[in-house]
Amino acid sequence: MRALVIDDSRTMRRIVAGNLQQLGFETYQAEHGQDALDLLDGGLEVDLCCIDWNMPVMDGLTFVSRVRADPRWRSVTLMMVTTESEQGQIVRALAAGAHEYLIKPFTPDALRDKLEFLGLTAPAWTVEEPA
Amino acid sequence: MSTAVDTEQVYAVAAAVFAAMIDGDEGLLTPWYGDLPLVEEPLSAWVDLHGELPGRAALVCEAATAHDLTRALLMMEADEEVDDQDLVDAFGEIANVVGGNVKSLLPVQDTLGLPEVAHGHPPAAEGHVAQELRLSWRGQLIVVTIWLVG
Repeated sequence: MRALVIDDSRTMRRIVAGNLQQLGFETYQAEHGQDALDLLDGGLEVDLCCIDWNMPVMDGLTFVSRVRADPRWRSVTLMMVTTESEQGQIVRALAAGAHEYLIKPFTPDALRDKLEFLGLTAPAWTVEEPA
Repeated sequence: MSTAVDTEQVYAVAAAVFAAMIDGDEGLLTPWYGDLPLVEEPLSAWVDLHGELPGRAALVCEAATAHDLTRALLMMEADEEVDDQDLVDAFGEIANVVGGNVKSLLPVQDTLGLPEVAHGHPPAAEGHVAQELRLSWRGQLIVVTIWLVG
């Protein structure tokens, strides 16, 4: 599984990417929506994008709308990871095409629960039955 | 003090942010009891709220405390050097998450600016101080201030 973490805070990118790596994801990072679009346009293939809302250059909501409008990226799962926690903002993001919404601050367990809900399981956290 | 956000709400937001992002489940942020020490080398981080109910959410602490917060957030060793870029980014992100969650408590839906960090106390914001919380994190003073207009 591959994930693209999009956040203008490199601290938050490191935290989100670190959590995803613990869950077995291969991670990539982008500083804002346009940076992420450029990576996807350049051929980067990912299963999941974790997207902050408030970013310079291109915000997360615009990024979600742009990805959803392009058939090349129809299979990419989009999850907002943001402090924007009002119900109206969540509805806006989901209406624009986001699949899930994780509010900062979050715990590693909360991220894992969201990914399980989305069906994004990676080999590293598949529990094997004893022989 | 404004009734738009009360002290308990702001404390709950700050405690949740520190528990989830910095300290883990136990959370090490408590109210500050006793006399306030002089903050000799203050460092501030803040985000502005824009819209119908504008304001600002700010954190102020000793620069050394901000270094410790950065180390904790980035899971660095206690004696590891913190570079300026990590300091500004990590301390600003804490203010950003506190501010974003305070914004969600307001009766109107506004937008959040990008975090800023500066030496000294934050520049005076429009409006009045709605809440000012003196908090202790690992025995170090952190002041959380919320300004609101209206």
